[in-house]
Amino acid sequence: MIDAATLAQMNGEYVIPADAGPAWRAAYAAGIDMSLIEHSLRMTPEQRLAEHQQVIDFLLEVQKAGQSHGAE
Amino acid sequence: MAQNDQALLTRLKDSGLEFAVIGGVCVVYHGAPLATFDLDICCRLDEENVQLIESAVKDLHPFHRLTANQLPLEMTRSTFGHLKNLYLQTDLGKLDCLSEVAGVGDFEAVRKQSVVAKFSYGEFRFLNLDALIAAKKAAGREHDQAALRHLLAIKERNEQKENLL
Repeated sequence: MIDAATLAQMNGEYVIPADAGPAWRAAYAAGIDMSLIEHSLRMTPEQRLAEHQQVIDFLLEVQKAGQSHGAE
Repeated sequence: MAQNDQALLTRLKDSGLEFAVIGGVCVVYHGAPLATFDLDICCRLDEENVQLIESAVKDLHPFHRLTANQLPLEMTRSTFGHLKNLYLQTDLGKLDCLSEVAGVGDFEAVRKQSVVAKFSYGEFRFLNLDALIAAKKAAGREHDQAALRHLLAIKERNEQKENLL
């Protein structure tokens, strides 16, 4: 049986760390997805840039597809 | 058009240009998961450096991307001493070369407040986190505020980890 907290997390609720400072809490309150920052901080800087390059490559493809779709 | 930051960085390094990565890619370097579609660097824009930049991208059909008629890069020779920034479009993407960073200063100031990162494809200077935060505060645009929130949270987390060591 899954507990309510786990179910909430599965549904997207971010559990703010107990030791989170004011800047972390302010970023969360502003609507930033802190789980993405946590993911990024687990990577080396080189890995971050490599992942960013993959994201950009994909987004440019999406942009191109959107332009093609708009032209139809 | 592709944006290949690794290829641009490698070409700039191989040209001998002394520069530091600033802007959105620097934000990513420090851990903020934000997309950026150009590569921003800070460097001196003296005649020697502009020639180094030109040598790094000359086969990439570079042009001044903010000019009305997309002036080719070689037009820069007539403007030495007048340029504070170079906003270029190349076959490998957008490359913006700034001679100074608001909130930080000229390249010498940027250099003093940068870190050297070792990647598998070379070593590159990146503005350090405190200077990047100062730059974002000085820029003051809406999307800079979003980046600033990320960076302040990251700085806080980094300091917490250092205090635990």
